Amino acid sequence: MTEEQIKLAIENPKMSARDVKVFYGEKQAIKGVSIDVGMDHVTAFIGPSGCGKSTFLRTLNRMNDTVASARVEGEITLDGENIYAPSMDVVQLRARVGMVFQKPNPFPKSIYENIAYGPRIHGLAAGKADMDVIVEKSLRRAGLWDEVKDRLHDSGTALSGGQQQRLCIGRAIAVEPEVILMDEPCSALDPIATAKIEELIHELRGRYAIVIVTHNMQQAARVSQRTAFFHLGDLVEYGVTSDIFTNPRQERTKDYITGRYG
Amino acid sequence: MTGPAILLLLAGLGAIAWVSARARALRLQTVARATGRRDAVHSLPGYHGWYVALWTLIPAAIFLIIWVNVAPGLVTQSVLADPAAQSLPLDGFSRSAILGEARAIASGNQAGAFNPLSQGLVEPYRAALDKYGIAGAVLALVLAFAGGAFAFTRIRPDFRARTRVERLVMASLLIASLIAIITTVGIVASLLWESFRFFSMVNPIDFLFGTKWSPQSAAMGYGNDDAFGAVPLFWGTIFIGAIIAMIVAIPLGLMSAIYLTQYASPTVRKWMKPTLEMLAGVPTVVYGYFAALTIAPALRDFAVAIGIHGASSESALAAGLVMGVMIIPFVSSMADDSIAAVPQSMRDGSLAMGATTSETIRKVLIPAALPGVVGGVLLAVSRAIGETMIVVMAAGLAANLTANPFASVTTVTTQIVQLLTGDQEFDSAKTLAAFALGLVLFIVTLLLNIVALRVVKKYREAYE
Amino acid sequence: MTAVRNPTDWKSEAMRKRIAGRYAAERRFKFAGLFAVVLSASFLAFLLVTMMGNGLRGFTRTEIALKVDFPASPLLLDPKAITDEALANANLPMVTGTVAKTVLGEKADDLLSPTAWISIRDAIKADPMILSRTATISVPASTGLDLAAKSKGSPEMEAEVARLKQQGILSTGFNMGFLTASDGTDPTQVGIWGAFKGSLLTMLVTLILSFPVGVATALYLEEYAAKNWWTDIIEVSINNLAAVPSIIFGLLGLSIFLNLAHLPRSAALVGGMTLALMTMPVIVIAGRNAIKSVPPSIRDAALGIGASPVQVVFQHVLPLALPGILTGTIIGMARALGETAPLLMIGMRAFIATPPGGITDPATVLPVQIFLWSDEVSKGFVEKTSAAIIVLLAFLLAMNGLAIYLRNKFETRW
Ligand SMILES: Nc1ncnc2c1ncn2[C@@H]1O[C@H](COP(=O)(O)OP(=O)(O)O)[C@@H](O)[C@H]1O
Ligand SMILES: [Mg+2]
Repeated sequence: MTEEQIKLAIENPKMSARDVKVFYGEKQAIKGVSIDVGMDHVTAFIGPSGCGKSTFLRTLNRMNDTVASARVEGEITLDGENIYAPSMDVVQLRARVGMVFQKPNPFPKSIYENIAYGPRIHGLAAGKADMDVIVEKSLRRAGLWDEVKDRLHDSGTALSGGQQQRLCIGRAIAVEPEVILMDEPCSALDPIATAKIEELIHELRGRYAIVIVTHNMQQAARVSQRTAFFHLGDLVEYGVTSDIFTNPRQERTKDYITGRYG
Repeated sequence: MTGPAILLLLAGLGAIAWVSARARALRLQTVARATGRRDAVHSLPGYHGWYVALWTLIPAAIFLIIWVNVAPGLVTQSVLADPAAQSLPLDGFSRSAILGEARAIASGNQAGAFNPLSQGLVEPYRAALDKYGIAGAVLALVLAFAGGAFAFTRIRPDFRARTRVERLVMASLLIASLIAIITTVGIVASLLWESFRFFSMVNPIDFLFGTKWSPQSAAMGYGNDDAFGAVPLFWGTIFIGAIIAMIVAIPLGLMSAIYLTQYASPTVRKWMKPTLEMLAGVPTVVYGYFAALTIAPALRDFAVAIGIHGASSESALAAGLVMGVMIIPFVSSMADDSIAAVPQSMRDGSLAMGATTSETIRKVLIPAALPGVVGGVLLAVSRAIGETMIVVMAAGLAANLTANPFASVTTVTTQIVQLLTGDQEFDSAKTLAAFALGLVLFIVTLLLNIVALRVVKKYREAYE
Repeated sequence: MTAVRNPTDWKSEAMRKRIAGRYAAERRFKFAGLFAVVLSASFLAFLLVTMMGNGLRGFTRTEIALKVDFPASPLLLDPKAITDEALANANLPMVTGTVAKTVLGEKADDLLSPTAWISIRDAIKADPMILSRTATISVPASTGLDLAAKSKGSPEMEAEVARLKQQGILSTGFNMGFLTASDGTDPTQVGIWGAFKGSLLTMLVTLILSFPVGVATALYLEEYAAKNWWTDIIEVSINNLAAVPSIIFGLLGLSIFLNLAHLPRSAALVGGMTLALMTMPVIVIAGRNAIKSVPPSIRDAALGIGASPVQVVFQHVLPLALPGILTGTIIGMARALGETAPLLMIGMRAFIATPPGGITDPATVLPVQIFLWSDEVSKGFVEKTSAAIIVLLAFLLAMNGLAIYLRNKFETRW
């Protein structure tokens, strides 16, 4: 850990990573990253494409387990508990650390069933009425309720791209996660839909610890309070968003945000 | 002159034509090139060779094809004109038998005559055969020469031989592609025609909805009524191919596909997938023998042991079980494709919600892949109901309308084989019934395929 | 909307139990998958083991070393005038029976194959001088004795086996006749050569007809055909033909090739033509895939240096697509080789005791021979049927192996 990073170590972090390395077979994609993620901020990961943002994000809810060649070293904790420990149950972990993907991926089911999917598999609803409540609450929080309340039984795939992405956010929210990971959630959306999602992230802040990967620096500046800059598998700089953008300490960070590469 | 000799001779002529035309073109072109004009030369010498060779061979070949078809008629005519033919009996059957025997002796396929009359016709036959054989050979060779000579005179340095040869190549490709259509038309026409003749003897309603199948009694002269009710056959076909076989093939095929694609290590997959596919490569006659020799007796003993009545040594269950095993690879490869076509993002989405792999498969992948799987099952059913040898060898011939899997039932394909092997009289309702059954089978498998492909296509489009 | 968060209590007893249950379901599901794979594979293994168990015995036969005292036998033959006719008139079957009775006892008829006299005839033909002395000639044992020698027979025969073994005149060895003889009436005498040759001739006709037509159609559809309704009809026809049950092709062969064109019944020619119609769509489909996988850049390059479209296809595309086409062809031929039903329709189920000499002679093929033998009641045919199946499977395996080898060897990633 560098000096600056230690300074940024958060009092009571929701998740923290220490010296995390990720390998795909022989190839190393993450080269020893340490970072804390707090409950009160939206944390943005920025960096040129291929630098390992998604890879690192996926270590936080062990989605890398699904890639046969991937291997993770180091320690990542959730509320102080090592998520790679044998005692950690990955099913539980992923319920607590939800994820939203780059391309909206609603299931080919109805809107209602999309939201109900998580609560159903985890057994969170006490009955039909309870499920109705959960669905409505989740859709409201995802800012989608008013648009779909009359057609809950239409297919989720029939919605527009922006609506689909909010549906996916609602689907993640429905299991009451503690952390939400978003991997470039707006990159497949038009500007209006993007604005809606950004607004939504604002509203969700504080309720969940949110980590968002973005290649759009304006977006990072708009939605996040902390920003981490990755480059070639390294965490180059991590700090308060406004500092990073106005006063980067590292040459590489400056080059990147001033658009010299990436 | 014998056929092979003529063909050999023609091939030799073609080769000579190729070589000499190529040489001539080469010589002319060398001269022409010396003049220095860029358009003096068009095609490579080889194309001139092909051009002339094809002109040598094709007219002669077309002539020979026609000749082979008309010559026998001409031969017979000239034999009949012979005085020795005056004593032939007038009725068609024995007349043609005698003529056939004389021809066989004359062409050396038979040593001696059974009928003294044919002995007298051998000489005229031999003479006529020789005459027309030589005439045909001479005409073919003349045509070959004429065609070759005509083409040879057209060789000039700037002659567009390549364009012409290529035009012919294109034409032959087109003709080849027509064979598929001709075959389809041939199938439909022959099935329709023979069925039409069948339905002029047997009421189609009786055929499609009658429940009594006993073509034997019709053949024995008890009339066609009430003998060609095909419902027991339809039921047997469905019972074995669409019910019992599918009860075996769908779970095993689907679960195998799921295990091999979602759980198995790459090494296991690499070895087990081809192993399972071998099940589809085993000839059906082997399955049939296996069903009849091993499975059917075991099932009968089992049924007798648990006290089931009507257990037979040929049973729907034996045929259906073995057929189901044969179908496993079809179902599993279709399921494999359909599951693979579900985007990875669906799987990721579900796993990221904290679903286990099996929950993801059961609640997301299978529902999403369902149309593809259903399409695959329809294809498998169409394949199963058209399968012949397993049911011929293991299902039996008894046209029973029963739901007892240990009893013997018969199927459409079994009956087609049964009706058309052994002594056949053409034109009898019994023989023609096989074509009517074939028509039904053809239509049903065709519809199943069309529906299945539609379903699968729609499904593929949904994820594109 | 409530502002109060009530986080799920993941540590609660109920939740822990529920998760344990979900993992149990996961294990069950995975096990069900494994079970399906193992069950399917073991069915294949069971089938192969059964065939091997029955069939390997079919490649051997039991022989009795029969001591024939020719001078004392009722055989009236002049060693200096051994002609086929003389042998035919010598009533060898009866003489063999008499000799066997003196050597083997009263039950000799049950011990010797009905064709045992053929071995004696051949021995006399090979060396007429044995007629003047006592010779030991190996003759085939009867089916019953043969089965007993392979410990599958009746108790009485097992006793006979023990007795003959004691005398040291019983031997079991490789049955060359099974590979060189044709169909017959007695299981000790049958062989697969006739059917095998029939298969060979039929496949030859199939290949000669279906390969050029299939490749030409594939080339036409992939390289030249315009996208119009006519092309659609061709494509639909091919896809339908690939799905038509094989027996329908048999009906087509019967009504067009036999009844309409009067081609010879039971002949490899008609069998080959019928199977060619079935195989052609397979070659077309494989050929189109192979042609499709040749990258357009190669065509563009050839066209760019002034090659005509026909030259591009025949000099560049076709050679590159050939391995794929051949793979598809071999697979199609393997399927045709195992095909039975359509050949039954065109009469290739005749009793063929002499191998066909040409494509118009009456013939049968291996799968049909298997079918015919499977119907025989004599117990000795079980092992012969299974042995024929082993031969057929060996050929199919070799063909598929060749196809896989070709595919791997020439597989190109563009
Ligand atoms: N499944 C994988 N297998 C092998 N290498 C991968 C895989 N996923 C990503 N990588 C590699 O890891 C590096 C980081 O990728 P990624 O995390 O997707 O970058 P980013 O999201 O920042 O664009 C890249 O070089 C990429 O090629
Ligand atoms: Mg990424």
